[in-house]
Amino acid sequence: MSATCEFQAKDYKSSLKPIWCPGCGDFSVVQGIYRALAAIGRPPHEIAFVSGIGCSSRIPGYTTAYGFNSVHGRSLPIAQGIKLANPDLLVLAAGGDGDGFSIGGGHIAHLIRRNMDITYIVMDNQIYGLTKGQLSPTSQKGRVTCTSRFGSLEEPVNPLLYVLAYGAGFVAQASPTDLVGMAATIEEAIRYPGFAFVNIQSPCVTYGEEAQQIKGLKAISENLAAMGHNPADRLAAMDLAQQYGQKMHLGVFYRNPEPAPTYDGLVRERQAALSKNAPPKEQILDLFIKK
Amino acid sequence: MATRGIDFQTLSLMDALDLAILIEDEAQERYEDFAAQMDQHRTPAAARFFRLMAFNESKHGEELSARRAELFGEAPRAVTREMIYDIEAPDFDEVRAFMTPRQAMEAALASEVKAHSFFLAAIPVLKDAGVKALFEELRDEEVYHRELVTEELAKLPPDSAVSDEDFVDEPAPQ
Amino acid sequence: MRKDLVFGMAGSGGDGIVSAGESLLQAAAAEGYHGVMTKSFGSQIRGGESSCRVRISTTPILNPGGNLDVAVALNWEDFLKFGAELPVSGTTVVIYEAATKILEADIPLVGVTPLQVIAVPIAQMAKETAGTERAKNTVVLGLIAGWFGIGAVAVMKGIRKKLAKKGEELVEANQRAFDAGRAFAMEHPLKTSMNVVASDTKGQVKLITDGNDMCAAAAIFAGCQFFGGYPITPSTEIMQFFTDHVWKYGGAVLQAEDEIAGIGAAVGASFAGKKSMTATSGPGLSLKSEMMGLASIAELPLVIIDVQRGGPSTGLPTKTEQSDLFAAAFSAHGDVIRPVLAPTSVADIFRITIEAFNIAEYYQTPVIVLSDQEIASRKETLDPIDTTQFKIINRLVPAGADLVDYKRFQQTENHISPISHPGLLGGTYLASGIEHVESGAPTNSGDVHQRMNEKRTRKFDPLKDRKDLFEVTGNPDAPIAIIAWGSVAGVCREALEMAQAEGINVKLLVPYLLYPVAENVYNDFFKSVQKGIVVEQTHLAQTFKLLRMHVDLPKGLKSLARSGANPFLPGDIVAALHQLLSELQRSHEGQLQPQE
Repeated sequence: MSATCEFQAKDYKSSLKPIWCPGCGDFSVVQGIYRALAAIGRPPHEIAFVSGIGCSSRIPGYTTAYGFNSVHGRSLPIAQGIKLANPDLLVLAAGGDGDGFSIGGGHIAHLIRRNMDITYIVMDNQIYGLTKGQLSPTSQKGRVTCTSRFGSLEEPVNPLLYVLAYGAGFVAQASPTDLVGMAATIEEAIRYPGFAFVNIQSPCVTYGEEAQQIKGLKAISENLAAMGHNPADRLAAMDLAQQYGQKMHLGVFYRNPEPAPTYDGLVRERQAALSKNAPPKEQILDLFIKK
Repeated sequence: MATRGIDFQTLSLMDALDLAILIEDEAQERYEDFAAQMDQHRTPAAARFFRLMAFNESKHGEELSARRAELFGEAPRAVTREMIYDIEAPDFDEVRAFMTPRQAMEAALASEVKAHSFFLAAIPVLKDAGVKALFEELRDEEVYHRELVTEELAKLPPDSAVSDEDFVDEPAPQ
Repeated sequence: MRKDLVFGMAGSGGDGIVSAGESLLQAAAAEGYHGVMTKSFGSQIRGGESSCRVRISTTPILNPGGNLDVAVALNWEDFLKFGAELPVSGTTVVIYEAATKILEADIPLVGVTPLQVIAVPIAQMAKETAGTERAKNTVVLGLIAGWFGIGAVAVMKGIRKKLAKKGEELVEANQRAFDAGRAFAMEHPLKTSMNVVASDTKGQVKLITDGNDMCAAAAIFAGCQFFGGYPITPSTEIMQFFTDHVWKYGGAVLQAEDEIAGIGAAVGASFAGKKSMTATSGPGLSLKSEMMGLASIAELPLVIIDVQRGGPSTGLPTKTEQSDLFAAAFSAHGDVIRPVLAPTSVADIFRITIEAFNIAEYYQTPVIVLSDQEIASRKETLDPIDTTQFKIINRLVPAGADLVDYKRFQQTENHISPISHPGLLGGTYLASGIEHVESGAPTNSGDVHQRMNEKRTRKFDPLKDRKDLFEVTGNPDAPIAIIAWGSVAGVCREALEMAQAEGINVKLLVPYLLYPVAENVYNDFFKSVQKGIVVEQTHLAQTFKLLRMHVDLPKGLKSLARSGANPFLPGDIVAALHQLLSELQRSHEGQLQPQE
């Protein structure tokens, strides 16, 4: 992927009008994605953008890429099928915290160990917005919602630590408190040659708590680069990630300085090696000949 | 409100003008986004106001662009959009469903105040006299905008003691 | 001399009875015979009871056969566990291990007197000749060669080839065990000779394979380039075949983390423009059903192979059944048609799998192929197949004018819209599980939903006129009828021949297309029918009920339904036909009486 100046952010914006509530953090995320894609410069038709179900999962439709708004929790398996079917595509997956860490929570570990060159953006708002404000896997313990009238009894999932622990090669966090930083982070994630994860703190204006809105987030925000964090240091990244929920660190937690080979790359190599001198598929039944 | 990679001590007049144009562009874009969100949620009065703000920002941007062209012609731009964030543009969550025109104006006012503080804070650091003059002009411009919005606000009847939120439907589960 | 023999052998997993069956089948093929071999296992991974049936014939075989002609029991406990899967009758020669210490008169088969019972010191012969009791299976092969004339040369030729890498010593040990078995048979001739006549096609090339491998090969032949799946018995070999071969054809396979991810990846690959598939069994079909709904509404081609086993839940994971019919026809929520096809044998799963891809690609839909444990795991000898007869259909990709203001779900005359894929300039669109307008943009409109449902339903109308997806044999005007599909159809084909030989005027309908139900085909078929049976391995008579839901069935059509595992035998069907014939005759007499 080489950066060209042929495309501008607006070239990735579709004519569909977002269904999101006014003020939703996802408006910033889609802007961040437009900007990152423009910086990368791949034409929209070479991008496949997959999502699950949820407010945030509407996002592919707001871009001019090939979009797939699929079923709840399953953006990652579909994205992997796309990548294996056509590794030349730029494959993005996105969804909410419920989609990624609850109903689809089992998939991310496996995508990480396969290290396919897919960028996964989670819009983390700690609530189920589309179904009107139920507990989500990242809701704080004690959070009162319509399904936890007396406060939730369970600890939240820590998406950053989860992904770091499974060995993801690129882990970052962004938020609408810094759109420029968000765009740069998404761009860097897409450019990373392997699986990349970006958790975006994207406030829910309708069901979110006051402290989770932009002003509240600004108050707990710290820029990792400014703090002098070394993104090659995985243990330091895990240390910082433990503060998820108290502090909002922005930027790159971890970038593997020596990116591992990708599954899709290895598949290509295998295809190239094994297709040499292979008999045509029309002769496949010859495999069964017993003389 | 943030900048990235700008050294105010060595900022040239051309860069300062370009920066100011980008700040206006960003604000214009944000207001247009807000107006579209208000259209989408059938809140035309707030949409009209945000569109007016977008128009003002674009007009100011055009004035600055004309000056830049006169002084520096087609000289390539050294500053980028990536260097600024939310100087004059309101935060993403300043727009809310079913805003009253008053709430919309208050959001805009807060942004003008924000922009004013940005220029105010930058001025003491500046070395170049031309840049300093430009930033002072921009600072005063924000004061002027603030007054305009405040005047408009004063013309509005006060919002009812009951919140509009008390009348609108619950969000619809999907 | 015999033209057809059915062997049934059982022992514990350590006895190697299944590999003996495989050697026998290969030897028979090498000698020009047609053969079918089925395997059946207990639930233990190793060392539990295992059995196989090998049927060898001079003419093409329609099913694994009925009662055994030859039963081989290495121990009675394991043999008896297979019950009706290995039926012994008065015409069966029973061979068993003398070390069981059971007298020939006391063998534990209730209510049946076999033609002949022979105790053979199989283990002892193995130990003496090969130095290990493990060579029992080779002794058995020697016995078979001696008594029935199959594989005298070819068996050892096959074993030699298989063990070549392991050294001459092992080959020689096997040779001695084989010779000992053969010599024993020569010294103890059967009361009635059961030698099989020589085949006149000896020396001709034959294929040997099972339903799962054949299905996977067909998929690759059809151009399938992606497989996503999860291991589940008895379908796993399909994925294994892909991992061995698909790379050669530029394809890929993903062993996913679960059933849902498996079909999800296949849906993704199809969206990306590649022919793709998944394979599973009952429990996996349930897990995949949400994704099938997605593929239906997003109109994405996809082939799902369901290798049925006894259900529900874990049920009988190593036994065959046809009870996923309702699940296949009606899986997933919402109003939608998903074509369901069913092969009847290893030979025709090749054609049916290609057909599934053609239908999936043409109609842009998921298609379910209902295979079953028996077809999946049984090995058949086949004559070479002329693959040039199969037409391959690819999806309609937009080009030229289609790409000007492209609408993915454009209403067309035949309700099929050109389908683009990522990478194609001008074809970008949003695929979604949400109802959508023609462009793909989401909508909540009831009117659009109605129109799109019509589009997604009516596009299948031509499929119901595909008479080539149905097979009618027997007298077309016969008053008595059989309907059967899947592996049961093979049994009914043989029953039809037997019944006709006994003078019954009968015909057989085998549907390869189960859903949507082709009303016209059935209505035509039923015109002459007064009595009939729908034969199926389901407890709830799912096939009968599915037909009744769509077609006015003749009053005399009844259900012959039975739970899985225990196979139907051709004789069972013939007996039912005799019953129908006598009912028919009685009712005719009843009609005639008033006139007399």
